[in-house]
Amino acid sequence: MPVGVAGGKAMARTSWAGVRSLSGFLRKALPGSAPAPKVLFGYFQSVLAGNNSSLEVITDMGEKLGGDYLFDVNYTRSAYDSLYEAISGSIENFSLLTDDHYPQLANSLTRIDNLVQRMLASRGPEGGPLVVPYGEITWDMAEAVGGKNGNLAEIGNALRLTIPESFAVTTVAFDVFMAHNCLVDRLAALTATEIDDQAVADLHAAVLAGEIPPELADDFARETAKIRDRLGPNVTLAMRSSADEEDGDFSFAGQFASMLNVPCNGVAIGKAYKEVLASLFHVDALAYQQHLGLSPGRLKMAVGGVTMIDARCSGVIYTVASSIEPDTILINAAWGLGVAVVDGKTDADLYTVAKGEEPKLIKSRIGAKETMVVNRGDDGIETVATSTEMQAQNCLSEAEVLDLAGQAIAMETYFKAPQDIEWAIDREGRCFILQARGLRIDDPGTDEEDNDAVLETASEPCHLPVLLENQGAVVQKGAVAGKIFVLKNADELELVPRGSILVAHHDSPHFVRVIPFLGAIITDVGAPTSHMASICREFNVPTVVNVGNATTLLAHGQEATLISGDDNQVTIYAGIAHELLKQQRQSALKVRELYEFRRQKYIMRYIAPLNMVNPLEEEFVPEKCKTVHDLIRFMHEKSVQELVASATRQGRGVMGVFGGGKGLRRLAVDLPMQVMTIDLGGGINGGGRGDVAFEAIGSTPLRALISGMKHPGVWHDVALGLQGKDLLSGMTRASDFTGNAGAAGVNLAVISKEYVNMSMRFGYHFNMLDSYCSDTPRNNHIYFRFVGGAASINSRSLRIKMMAKIMSANGFIIKTKGDLMVARISNLRSEEVQRILDQIGRLVAFTRQLDAILDSDAAAERLADAFLAGDYSISRPS
Amino acid sequence: MASHNIMIIDDEKIVGDMARLSLEQEGYEVETFLDGRSALDRLEEKTFKVVITDLKMKGVDGLEVLRTVKKLYPETVVIMITAFANLDVAIEALRDDVHDFFPKPVKLKELKISIQRAMEKN
Repeated sequence: MPVGVAGGKAMARTSWAGVRSLSGFLRKALPGSAPAPKVLFGYFQSVLAGNNSSLEVITDMGEKLGGDYLFDVNYTRSAYDSLYEAISGSIENFSLLTDDHYPQLANSLTRIDNLVQRMLASRGPEGGPLVVPYGEITWDMAEAVGGKNGNLAEIGNALRLTIPESFAVTTVAFDVFMAHNCLVDRLAALTATEIDDQAVADLHAAVLAGEIPPELADDFARETAKIRDRLGPNVTLAMRSSADEEDGDFSFAGQFASMLNVPCNGVAIGKAYKEVLASLFHVDALAYQQHLGLSPGRLKMAVGGVTMIDARCSGVIYTVASSIEPDTILINAAWGLGVAVVDGKTDADLYTVAKGEEPKLIKSRIGAKETMVVNRGDDGIETVATSTEMQAQNCLSEAEVLDLAGQAIAMETYFKAPQDIEWAIDREGRCFILQARGLRIDDPGTDEEDNDAVLETASEPCHLPVLLENQGAVVQKGAVAGKIFVLKNADELELVPRGSILVAHHDSPHFVRVIPFLGAIITDVGAPTSHMASICREFNVPTVVNVGNATTLLAHGQEATLISGDDNQVTIYAGIAHELLKQQRQSALKVRELYEFRRQKYIMRYIAPLNMVNPLEEEFVPEKCKTVHDLIRFMHEKSVQELVASATRQGRGVMGVFGGGKGLRRLAVDLPMQVMTIDLGGGINGGGRGDVAFEAIGSTPLRALISGMKHPGVWHDVALGLQGKDLLSGMTRASDFTGNAGAAGVNLAVISKEYVNMSMRFGYHFNMLDSYCSDTPRNNHIYFRFVGGAASINSRSLRIKMMAKIMSANGFIIKTKGDLMVARISNLRSEEVQRILDQIGRLVAFTRQLDAILDSDAAAERLADAFLAGDYSISRPS
Repeated sequence: MASHNIMIIDDEKIVGDMARLSLEQEGYEVETFLDGRSALDRLEEKTFKVVITDLKMKGVDGLEVLRTVKKLYPETVVIMITAFANLDVAIEALRDDVHDFFPKPVKLKELKISIQRAMEKN
């Protein structure tokens, strides 16, 4: 009997042990009894139902916390409660389905739940490391390491750009420091009052006079020793603030102290750390926090220790020159350290670069650069005069300018917003990114008196030709321009250029690899609640699904502007609609800057991102589930596998389980193969016993598959070139199936109204097709595993190659190894599943005896193309 | 200008802050309050065209704000928002001439349309 999806409000957060012990108890009480297929299928359906409810809540939260709604903390709490309930129900049923094979999954949920509960209670990280090297910072540590550390570490770890050796001192260290020095109460007092100048000054002094707690001092000594070992004894560090902001959108620029050229030893670092911490307690800094809607004393300070680069030159990049020049990059550069450029104290060189597929240097202006800031080792930094020759020289070669521009574009694309980037090039010519943060663009049109004018122009129509209008469902709204990339098959994902508008037939969670780098996504087919959709929301990538004919309407390589808005308003213009893009950027920006808003939205970090993508990777284990979405994905995949395994077990032991074949019925169809069926419910119309006619097949996916197999011309009766025993002819031919012969050799289909799991004999192996085909697209999947054959390994590999090409053209994600192919596709409308199953039916027939003529790569290609074109005649090339 | 003044009352700071930032972008002048009492005090000093108030608040709640405003400042339009969307309360508020009633989360776009209509009144 299926178990209900949600355990109800009463389901305690600690009930996992109970669920597991119940499952164990049942198994002990019924030794040797495996659940009946119907029971397992019920669990399977309940897992899917729970997952769907969860995805619906995630979708709703993504929308409501996206900046377009006024919400309060009650909303976040109650939405999360619903999510917890739904995912708990899923795990409960999953545990029953898999005989509690993945107990770690419940632990992963507990871990995620703790993080979310902590966020909901507005508590910071309470445990964890005090000091973390940047290379070990992962996305889920962003809160503990603060925005600036998190951003730079991400640039190094995810974008693989070069950053200096660095470590983060976490907000946990901040708490430990405040507690060690008995400052917690004074901090709390600050929170409760209006800004009291004297109290702030006292706190500032107390932090400077405070003692570094021993455990923190140990960490400082250890990290600095590691850096000295790698970079030598003379290396120095910049110690800088990284307030506990998750995205670094507002930077607190200039609000807090940075200590430059700090010697790389524990004592010096400790002293600098206190200086940075103390700068949090300054009247101006606190007033700024209040302005952002943040109570004084709430902010916890993380600090970054970043090794100083012995800079030949350094500077700043703005990835957008101004609101009216979004396609122009400005690079400032001066000799020596970047302080002078950042503070605007020197007349730096200015390089103007035009964006585009190949960035172009369009203007260089040599600045006077009369002074430069140099590193004086233990004596700190010094501003010195620049020699006359150096003043007249460009700091950067054209190649360096273009390299910097390329890195800047990568960062802008990745972070989805214009960036303000600090960089340095050392004396050996190595380029380092030192910092990147969201760039604020002042717009002349945002003064209050100009507001009406802005609003009026917003409704002005755009005069570019419209390629597509109001088709499909908006998953993530936004405005973006870029080149169209029409994805023909999944292998081409690697080729999609950054910033492109990806146009694909199906949506797919496999796009996750490229989503952060995309400008937008448009699909012919897809659902707004799919895995991919929630990732798009998470990364704020404008996305429209279910457009119907985008892959045919939009031309590969064409420049276009997508504007997707409320109520599924979609317009795609040919060319770049600069004015519309500018207007879109102005809206919805400020609300997102609010501290509390961002805190609430931050919860989504533990819910929506999908890290578990490829089920074939070793990392696809329950312990690696970091988000609710990961849990959903893991359970879906393993549930399908479990059902497949179970059906396979039933197939092998079919005589025992189904009492001498009584549950089995033969499919009476006019095909050169025999199929036996086990009906779990609704798979065969009309009940009764005996053979099942094609018309009586109630299982939607089986019917589609058999339809394909019945297609005229797809079966070939010639065993070309095979000599001796024709093992292949046994591929789809049922062995003699008698009451005594067992199930070996049978083509077995376990079916229900919406499900088929078919084991097809091929040589010595079973090939397996598993498909769910219902009215809910995201429940639907096709899984096809193909292995074996009797001809030479080379022929078998060529057959796999040919099949992979055909499956790929149908939108499958394919993995092949030798003569094994695993193909998966999911989240399709019922009609699409049926269409593809029909194709697979034809393919199974078509491939029956191909090995003999598959003698080359060219033949595999030729046969695949012929199949895709509907030509099923097998002949040798003349 | 006074005719574009909006007052927002909600005991959750995030609601007032989000509404303020969003409405200021539209050119409105906005003041936020965390409780009904201080909001009513402020109304004695300054005229607001629109008051947006949460329903459930400690002390002076949204219905009391609505009644006081309607009695003392009949020109001022009141929009009610609440996490506890409840038909009885909505009917009660409508009877007291509330301009609009939104359950939270409130779509900012819809709130803005409602405010625009309120501004156009008289």
